[in-house]
Amino acid sequence: MKSVLFIVIVIVSGALAGAIHGTVNFAIVEPYLDQAIGIENENLFASGEEDDNPQFWADYEEYRVWQKSGQVLAGIILGVAMGSLFGIVYALSRNSLPGKNDVTKAVVLAGIMWITVYLIPFLKYPANPPTVGETETVVLRSILYILFIAISGFGAFAFYKLSQKLQSNKKYLGLIGYVIFIIIAFFVMPENPDEITAPMNLVNEFRLMSVLGVTSFWISVGIILGLLWNKFDNSKLSPDYS
Amino acid sequence: MSKVQQLSVSKTSVSKVAILVLAIVFAAGLFVVGFDQGHIFSVVYGEQAFVDLTIHELTHDMRHAAGFPCH
Repeated sequence: MKSVLFIVIVIVSGALAGAIHGTVNFAIVEPYLDQAIGIENENLFASGEEDDNPQFWADYEEYRVWQKSGQVLAGIILGVAMGSLFGIVYALSRNSLPGKNDVTKAVVLAGIMWITVYLIPFLKYPANPPTVGETETVVLRSILYILFIAISGFGAFAFYKLSQKLQSNKKYLGLIGYVIFIIIAFFVMPENPDEITAPMNLVNEFRLMSVLGVTSFWISVGIILGLLWNKFDNSKLSPDYS
Repeated sequence: MSKVQQLSVSKTSVSKVAILVLAIVFAAGLFVVGFDQGHIFSVVYGEQAFVDLTIHELTHDMRHAAGFPCH
């Protein structure tokens, strides 16, 4: 496949899947964000940091509109970013993935990446709504989160490469090795230092909606990239006359 | 006698340049949505960008929803 075409279909599939992610979030996550920010505002009034007056609410409305309007746009940007990673991994692993066509192969890879670079890091450092999270710890929390994604992602890649060197009846040892590795990393990595002060039912429901939103991205990006690859790839099975 | 044989060859050959371009897009996009605290606009607006947090606020809701740490 030509480089420009490859880049274009990867970015288009990421952008479309990101737009779906942003739209899903807009429908199912926003109510929980509003609820959490409401609690945050109550805390500000109670501590005396802000006054409950018309000026506060005018400013609040202004920046909430800005934040909400960015949901789909940020979804597209994040979709293009994660879609690019997905496209790279797909191009490098396509021949090894199970499935008879690119849609199946891409969906399988999306499932693997959903588990390794999203779900496992999420289980260690789950998403939190506003009002949970101290400003002072945001850099530390960002480092821990991205580090755990890298550990899980590169760990999965390393154990996959290792399994390729094993005999076919022993390839499952690569998967077992990854599971043991990630369990060790799970307990060695420090906990999120912030205390959760918001109601746990709000936090848990927010987390569930967050998972559904991100899952919509991975399903979409797998299907869309697979369809585009099927359509534009000209290096499919070719008959050999001899 | 000729025979038709179908080879299961499905090469996936993409250039290293394309991989590099997408790697840069990945890193830049991830930083914008997940981690920027005014850094990008500080190139133009200086210290004020860390107060305004324009990109941070624009990506705020997605940042929380996608699981990235936030304030």
